[in-house]
Amino acid sequence: MFGYYLDLALRSLKRNKALTALMVLAIALGIGTSMTTLTVMHVLSGDPIPQKSAQLFRVRMNVFPDDSFRPGDKVPDNLTRRDVEALLRDARADRQAAMSAGAMVVAAQGEPLRVATRYTGADFFPMFDVPMRYGRAWSRADDASRARVAVISSVLNEQLFGGVDSVGKTLQVGEQSLRIVGVLGDWNMNPRFYDLSNGQFGDSEQVFLPLSTALDLKLSSSGSTNCWSRTNDARAADAPCIWLQYWAELDTPAKAATYRQYLQNYIALQQQAGRFSHAGQAEALDVMQWLDAKGVVPADVRLQTWLALGFLGICLLNTVGLLLAKFLRRSGEIGVRRALGASRRAIFLQCLVEAGVVGLAGGVLGLALAALGLVLVRHQPTDYAAYIHMDLRMLLATFVLALASSLLAGLLPAWRAMQVAPAVALKSN
Amino acid sequence: MRILHQIRPILAALRSHKTAVMLLVLEIALTMAVLGNLVFIVYDTINRSHVSTGIAESQIGWLQNIGVVGQDNPVTGAENLAVLRAVPGVADAAYVSPPLVYAQRNPLFIDPSRKQPVAQVYEFQGSQGLVDTFGLHVIQGREPTLDELPVAATVTSDAVFPVLVTQALAAHLFPDGHALGKLIYDGGGNPMRIVGIVDHLRGEITGRVDDDYAVVTQLLLGAQNVGGGFTIRVHEATQLPQVLQAAAIALQKANPGHVQNAALTMAEARESYFRNALAAGRMLVAIMLILLVVTALGVSGLASFWVQQRRRQIGMRRALGATRRDILHYFQMENLLIVSGGVLLGTLFAYALNLFLMHRFELAHLPAHYLVVGALALWALGQLAVLGPALRAANVPPVVATRSV
Repeated sequence: MFGYYLDLALRSLKRNKALTALMVLAIALGIGTSMTTLTVMHVLSGDPIPQKSAQLFRVRMNVFPDDSFRPGDKVPDNLTRRDVEALLRDARADRQAAMSAGAMVVAAQGEPLRVATRYTGADFFPMFDVPMRYGRAWSRADDASRARVAVISSVLNEQLFGGVDSVGKTLQVGEQSLRIVGVLGDWNMNPRFYDLSNGQFGDSEQVFLPLSTALDLKLSSSGSTNCWSRTNDARAADAPCIWLQYWAELDTPAKAATYRQYLQNYIALQQQAGRFSHAGQAEALDVMQWLDAKGVVPADVRLQTWLALGFLGICLLNTVGLLLAKFLRRSGEIGVRRALGASRRAIFLQCLVEAGVVGLAGGVLGLALAALGLVLVRHQPTDYAAYIHMDLRMLLATFVLALASSLLAGLLPAWRAMQVAPAVALKSN
Repeated sequence: MRILHQIRPILAALRSHKTAVMLLVLEIALTMAVLGNLVFIVYDTINRSHVSTGIAESQIGWLQNIGVVGQDNPVTGAENLAVLRAVPGVADAAYVSPPLVYAQRNPLFIDPSRKQPVAQVYEFQGSQGLVDTFGLHVIQGREPTLDELPVAATVTSDAVFPVLVTQALAAHLFPDGHALGKLIYDGGGNPMRIVGIVDHLRGEITGRVDDDYAVVTQLLLGAQNVGGGFTIRVHEATQLPQVLQAAAIALQKANPGHVQNAALTMAEARESYFRNALAAGRMLVAIMLILLVVTALGVSGLASFWVQQRRRQIGMRRALGATRRDILHYFQMENLLIVSGGVLLGTLFAYALNLFLMHRFELAHLPAHYLVVGALALWALGQLAVLGPALRAANVPPVVATRSV
């Protein structure tokens, strides 16, 4: 039966090519536009580390002294060095690392080069599944001994050493030298969820070194630093400043619950120690909660998505109108079929099959339009342009959306068509 | 008048196509809602990208420096400023970061207990010469003299800083107009006394009223060294790129231990600040154009269906003496009525969508004239779309009436 309906649908669509083309075009434009914006949305709000996003937690605290604390304020993203060192000492998570972004000037051979850096701990690499091309990351012992070691990105390795295994070579940082212990494989997190304050999209840092070493060498760090009283050195161990980011890995939900309790206890202890008299705040957000809290998807993109969906709605109304015109124009034919014994249900299904064929054709054309739209998006000078691409899921979603929306559009016209009274239709012919 | 007489029969005819008419009205209403808001958003973005920050942007550039470990610099902060001022073409220099490049909003209080913030303001803290470097216009009070400026090296936490505020902030804090001499407080720093009012200084351009709420603090930089950003103003705007380059080289020469990090003209800063928004605007314009095309296709598709369906009636009317012009007008009038229905409903939809977007995206209220323009555009679009089918209808010969289909 389905094959017969399909044959009828194709014949009917062929009969009035202009109207058919119009319907296909309307659906295709709606699908193309909304899939373009939905894909952008999908990429931007995507999970940067799907295998671990539920096990990685950003730790945030509010330990402001009373005169800087205002109830209702958001929990600050960063921690003081004092709290970071206490948490690292306790080491209650499966893995944990404090970190900060920075910049420095390095020289290996020839011209000095300005590079973006990340000061962090040994756990950073296994925690974020960072691949190594040569050598390996530094150890926790290196953290403790403030070892003069560094891990460099494959890009920097290419730039400085022509891409050969550079483990054991040294990087000159001013008077100091850092021994390269590892070279990263290809690793770019987009969005760069572990530090959203220094550009949300872009390449990974070029040099990684132990935070303890960076503090020892007084390397300059960048990113937000918030001090509540005057200080000469915002990076000092007891400085009244929040500037360090802290991530913990907790492999099971039970461990996460225990860890959250530990954080509450920690804050309570700080209050008892007299650092502040308010209740304090401490929380651990997993990756998706963290991205959500930071509003990584630009407002522009969310706005476009809403408008594109509205646009798809308009295209659907359009298709409803055109399908209605098409079906009712065939009242005579439908009357004949009904008179020959076709049930209302059969007419309804026949009309829906026709709508579905239009939808699929619209989907194929819409996919082409969406691909074109994405090419245009990639040529826009936005931070995220380079990372926009369509994956298999969005490809399938395109067809599902096209088929579902055309069937939805077909419902009303098909319902009206099956109501055609055979006697009247035949007589008026 | 003849056209007006036609309205009744048109309405009567439309009543027998209720579903199709409703669909068309709905489509036009939705188009109007989306279109009105889109035009508003895009126009607003374009307008915003031309709003001045209040500083002499065409003459201003910014230099950022970072140090190399282990190499101490013999040069002090004040000397760095002198080095920059000595570069030919530089009118003034100060240690500060300009608007759009680095702007941080902080809560502001008018009571020393700092319980209830009265505004979120952009704080510009920099060295002596900041006001001249930015090219700010002091319209009330005066700029603090060099003697009054707190000395950065020796300042205590209870010293009162003389500051400038923007006119908009002064009016917001002290609606009675007596802002001069009043004390204000930020989150954790020193108390500040308002000694002067500048016309405009916008930290960012988001479209909010409080973009123009700013507090300017100058500290006297002496022997100590500061890292970070220097802002320079040049005499000739056309020379800015070259002078900025020369200033970077001079700074580098004076500080062998520093490596230049970034040099940015305000034009570049503005371009990068608005890049995403303008890119989004272009996307929206594309959506808008496609939307118009789709709606026009829909209207004309349905109109041609109706014309074909009514060939016999048209023939009869022609046979009974109606002219081609009458038939043409009939379909044009019919379209005008349907589009008008859509426009009426669309006005409601547009406001509803605007309310939703205001709620979710801090969008401003949709001004009424956008709807007038939207309505005119849709009327024109409808007439354009129906012209083809209507002309075809006008060409139906009277003889059709006597033929069986």
